[in-house]
Amino acid sequence: MSENNNSLRIQKLLVGLFSILLLIILIIVAAVEMKQTKEPKLIVEISGENANCVNCHTQKGIAVKSIDLWKKSLHAEQNISCIDCHTAEEGDFDAFYCPESDYLVARHPTPKDCAVCHADQVNEFTDSKHAHQFWLINNTDRAIFENPISTRHGCEQCHNIGIVWPDQSVGECDACHPKHSFDIAVARQPETCGECHIGPDHPHIEIYLESKHGNMFRAKEKELDLNYNTTENEDIPIDMPVCTTCHMDGNKTQPMTHNVSERLAWEAQSPWSSRTVWNEKELGDWKMKRARMQSTCENCHAPDFVSTYLLTADLVNLQYNEIRRTFVQWNKKLTEKGIVDRLVKDGIFYSDPTLSGWDEKSEVLLYNGWHHEGRRFRHGAIMMGADYTQWHGIWEIQQDLVELFTFAAEYGDPEAKKWVESNDPIKFAPYALYDIPGNAFGINVLANTLPYVYNAYPDYWERIQANVKTAYENNLLSEEQWLLWSKRFENKDHYLGTKYNADSLFQFYKDRNALDTKAFTKDGVDLKLPGKPFWTW
Amino acid sequence: MNNKDNAPDKSRRDFITKLIMGGGLIASSGLLLRNGLDYLFPDSDAKPLRKLLVGRVDEIKTGEAKEFKIGNDSLFLIKNEEGYKVFSAVCTHLGCKINWEAHRNRFYCPCHKGIFDANGNVVEGPPPRALDEFKVEIDKNLVYMWIKDNRGGQV
Amino acid sequence: MNRISTHFNKRVPLKKEKLSGIIEALNEQLPAHMKNWYYALGATPLILFLFMIVTGILLTFYYIPSPEKAYESVRHITEDVSLGYWIRGLHRWASNLMVIAIFLHMTRVFFTRGYRKPRELNWIVGILMLFTTLALCFTGYSLIYNQLSYWAAIVGTNMIKEIPLVGTAILSFLRGGEEVTSNTLTRFFNLHIIFLPAILLALIVMHIILVRLHGVSNIDDNVEEKTYSFFPGHFYHTIIIALFLLTFLSALSVILPPGLGEQADPLNTPAHIKPEWYFFAVYSILKFIPLKAGIYLFAALALAATFWPFLENGLRRKWPDLKMLYWIGSLTIIIFLFFTVYEILVQ
Repeated sequence: MSENNNSLRIQKLLVGLFSILLLIILIIVAAVEMKQTKEPKLIVEISGENANCVNCHTQKGIAVKSIDLWKKSLHAEQNISCIDCHTAEEGDFDAFYCPESDYLVARHPTPKDCAVCHADQVNEFTDSKHAHQFWLINNTDRAIFENPISTRHGCEQCHNIGIVWPDQSVGECDACHPKHSFDIAVARQPETCGECHIGPDHPHIEIYLESKHGNMFRAKEKELDLNYNTTENEDIPIDMPVCTTCHMDGNKTQPMTHNVSERLAWEAQSPWSSRTVWNEKELGDWKMKRARMQSTCENCHAPDFVSTYLLTADLVNLQYNEIRRTFVQWNKKLTEKGIVDRLVKDGIFYSDPTLSGWDEKSEVLLYNGWHHEGRRFRHGAIMMGADYTQWHGIWEIQQDLVELFTFAAEYGDPEAKKWVESNDPIKFAPYALYDIPGNAFGINVLANTLPYVYNAYPDYWERIQANVKTAYENNLLSEEQWLLWSKRFENKDHYLGTKYNADSLFQFYKDRNALDTKAFTKDGVDLKLPGKPFWTW
Repeated sequence: MNNKDNAPDKSRRDFITKLIMGGGLIASSGLLLRNGLDYLFPDSDAKPLRKLLVGRVDEIKTGEAKEFKIGNDSLFLIKNEEGYKVFSAVCTHLGCKINWEAHRNRFYCPCHKGIFDANGNVVEGPPPRALDEFKVEIDKNLVYMWIKDNRGGQV
Repeated sequence: MNRISTHFNKRVPLKKEKLSGIIEALNEQLPAHMKNWYYALGATPLILFLFMIVTGILLTFYYIPSPEKAYESVRHITEDVSLGYWIRGLHRWASNLMVIAIFLHMTRVFFTRGYRKPRELNWIVGILMLFTTLALCFTGYSLIYNQLSYWAAIVGTNMIKEIPLVGTAILSFLRGGEEVTSNTLTRFFNLHIIFLPAILLALIVMHIILVRLHGVSNIDDNVEEKTYSFFPGHFYHTIIIALFLLTFLSALSVILPPGLGEQADPLNTPAHIKPEWYFFAVYSILKFIPLKAGIYLFAALALAATFWPFLENGLRRKWPDLKMLYWIGSLTIIIFLFFTVYEILVQ
């Protein structure tokens, strides 16, 4: 039976072998975890007084979606509910008794209420230009030009972000993270900023969506989770910037802030561009603010690119000032000549066009040249919205100038007449110029061979240099910027591309263009239809 | 006969065979049982915690206590010399709800006259142990408590 | 020590004579041809059935048989519960393997003519076990309450309605009413966890008792075969099979974990409703012929299969050599496989 014993032994060994295999697989099984297909949802506990609020509101069907939104909020998760924000004391400006109850609640939670827990954010906000009352200080649009009912849902709606409450707090916290979910993802959505930062006078959302930043955002929007925190100085968690990324969110180099003025170095909305002096005591001078913005850009971009880009945009701001100067000088001249009349009251001379009747073309052009074209020109330049810098910007400003001079010429001003009658191509530069050799995007061998000023004035760049130097000496450009500009000036043949030659390549395209010209001449210009038009001259 | 039948070799081989078989069977059965028990007993520990806001720093002074509710559970937030503490309002004796007596600086249970001091420790009466305490965190001017995050468990 | 064993023996009077029957059974001599692994194909379904019972009981700790909560409870088991996916995976893979093992076992018995006189009754019991197992599979899959389970339950029970005479009554019994409602789920749950398993257990006991009573049949009356004893030889085979199956099924649970599908939506009929793979052949054939004719056909086939030993006797008289057996068997298998694969490929 040894044969039997052997086979039995083999059997026993096989049992041992298979049980060890089983052991191994059981270990693997215990280690494996299945992928979750469902996000576990928190069940919000509503207790005490708040249970009464929720029950009564639900029963009466009043603002029940607010309760639903609240339930999804971080507040609800942390047991912060109705009475924590809507708390009121007798005598509060908004205290009232809920109907059919003896609950005294606040109709309007203000930043003072938010500040109980979010003091830092409220303080930062109150210190920012979002809380600034400039729109009441310069208020003639609303005070004079438009009637009050028309501004209730217009001017007042956007500028409600800086509302001054009876309890002396300032601001509309839920303008960006709306009640009652106070959803951060909504706050980060560019269209939220775009609720107000929109339109012909500051098309920020339009500029953003035109820009590469906005385009990339649109392309990847569905994959982005905007619900993140940047309070710990960590890397930016999304691959392309939204508004808050550059203007508010924290990153490796700086903390999150609710003070949007911290990183802005230009007053690019004013009639005259000026370097920001907002709260220099705490925020530092404009160079400090520009440094904050620059280090934010450098999270994604090469420092060289950032510096060149921002310097170019800065020069646009300065250029705008020179154009403005022309508008102002001419309006002054025309006023002195009596062509434009201005309001003078109690010996004070008011230059605001809405105060003087809004009726002379040159003063309308002065206003639009600042408030509309001039702002688009500047904002497009610094926020990468090329169409706004060009066709809605400088192109329209130049049109305005042409109209201004034409207007003046019609009223007999000799200088204007001379300008209008002139055919000199240089007439479109009736103001001082700024410039920079080339741009931040690359070296274009052909683009800079064509501007008239480059070819007509051999001392062009020296004249520009003098202007840029003056700007630097007046603290409008930093030392690094002046050095950067000078480096480009010293190597302008390289940066302008004029050092290199692409003439034969250009000829290739010129030949092709000739074919296009021939085509439209043949198809359009030279086509003669039979017969006469129905209206005969 | 056969070399294979030699007594000492045979018994050694037999022993090793029995060892492998027996050991393998016992080990795999053990792990099988362990896995089965793991399945049967839902995870009660290692649950994440989440925090709830229970009050502001300036809301109560030292020696004061505030009663509040989370869902159906009553709790006390008290500030004593050691700082802020959160206690369950359930008496550890037989589950009645306790009250805070500010003038005597103590918690008092009316059912069987159990008394806890301001640190939740039993001073007098039948309660067998101190009040259930919750972890507290102070963030700027806000007082939070930490509780178990239950959201993964239920159907 | 002696006091304890006397104490024990007084209360549990194990007498050697009474135990002799069991010991005899353990030492029963089996013909040597059974050392072949494919003769273990009868034990395999039994082992798998035991797995099904154990894992099934474990699953009922977390499963909720209500239309609102069924799917979510299955998801909970699969994703949240510690090792839930393993228990559920074992249950699912063991059920698939059990059906395969039963088919293979049937094939083995068929081609070795193990149903010959006097073992015809055991064959009939075996066929009944097959039907019960398929019913268990059907009811079990419906408990997940995803789109496929819900609609397969509706379509499947609709077909039962077509059975002559008793069809509507059976339908009403299965569904707990005329339509598929929450009653249906409760009934399927009951059928799946106790009614059908009890029936199957009784049939298994009958099956094994009959095998033990008759003894293992020799291949074509070859009485001269060598023998080996059930314990420990064949027993070790069984243990190895059990260990191997548990390992293999656990591995399958890890590599191909049990899926969930979409939650059942009574308002939304999915574009393609299919039953489980073992029903593919029947499902496919029924699509080619009118439903009533198909039901009659399969009723006839079921009867033929059940009473095959007697049918075969009649057929043997006409065609006495074995070839006819192989023809019928192979044809059945080929047709079954063909339509199964066809249904897999067609959308």
